[in-house]
Amino acid sequence: MNVIIHDLETEQFQMLFPHLNQDTQIIYDNGKIKHCIGCFGCWIKTPGTCVIKDGYEHIGAILAKANDVTIISQCLYGGYSPFIKNIFDRSISYVLPFFKTVKGETHHQPRYPNQYRLFVYFYGDNILSQEKLTAQKLVEANSNNFNVSQYTVSFYNSINDLSKEVTLS
Amino acid sequence: MKISIINGSPKSGKSTSALLIDYLIPMLLGNEIHIHHLNMETGDHCQLSAMTDSDVLLFVFPLYVDALPSHLLRLLMALEKQNFQKKKPIVYCIVNNGFYEGKQNDLAIEQIKIWCHRTHLTWGQAIGIGAGEMLPYIASVPLGHGPNKNLGHALTLLTQNIKAGKGGEDLFISPHYPKWLWKMNASMFFWYPRAKANGLKRKALYQQADYTTL
Repeated sequence: MNVIIHDLETEQFQMLFPHLNQDTQIIYDNGKIKHCIGCFGCWIKTPGTCVIKDGYEHIGAILAKANDVTIISQCLYGGYSPFIKNIFDRSISYVLPFFKTVKGETHHQPRYPNQYRLFVYFYGDNILSQEKLTAQKLVEANSNNFNVSQYTVSFYNSINDLSKEVTLS
Repeated sequence: MKISIINGSPKSGKSTSALLIDYLIPMLLGNEIHIHHLNMETGDHCQLSAMTDSDVLLFVFPLYVDALPSHLLRLLMALEKQNFQKKKPIVYCIVNNGFYEGKQNDLAIEQIKIWCHRTHLTWGQAIGIGAGEMLPYIASVPLGHGPNKNLGHALTLLTQNIKAGKGGEDLFISPHYPKWLWKMNASMFFWYPRAKANGLKRKALYQQADYTTL
């Protein structure tokens, strides 16, 4: 299964990317997402599922089924837009609360055997070079913590530029 | 000096960020301190105005998935739109994470620095704290002693710089406590008891949710 997570308006996304596979899971902003409240319920109350029932509680389980995950996000302060980051914050059930040590650093143990490929496309009309550096490091850190098999990071000046160069399936 | 401390924890009850703020208050005595609880005040324009009318902005928050939490991003965007016409506060931050290494907070700190650049504010200094979930459990140990040795030292340096209106080198600290023991305690005395309190056996913590059955 392919997963696309984007922060575009739904109509805009459909217009720019009209030809997607039927089994592609699209996660978009319906305006109802709640932010993570730091309760750890997805680890110690309903392991694997977020306790906030707003339609975004199954992100971890969706990632567990993914072969490829594509993210389209505005680049904000060297990271994701609030909606995309909200999805990440609500997806920690994808990993376990327990730790492992990798290259001297502690990271979370995986919950699932799955490893997906991650493609991150940032857009913005004035992305600073420092923002690009930080964003690249952030995707690398996310990939390490979420057991991603391989990743790419790209930057575009506008959504139109992105849609001309990126093919989604 | 007017200091706005923004508690960026989304928790409504006690949090590590709230504990860190409790430590800071006596160290900043003699200043006008305003504490803003982000979990209650996001989007409150009166609070945004109070934050911009400060000499110091001090963000205290948890690391979420290697970076700033989404609710803090929304606040920073709202603050950026305020333009800071009355005052240009110096910005400091304290980030804590659930790993052992304070260094793993560096990307969130970089994001706050970029926000400073975007809002034309002066960057001050940051502390990146590891093993943040452990701090409430050792709150009875005085700062500067035992496992709180490194934290006490870092908070002293930061508050000295805040009071002097100066910047400083970012400080990354872990507890003065063996890593292997912290790692074992995290499972034995943190996650397992919490799961048990919810009626779950240890094995249940490892269960896999199946999206196809939803």
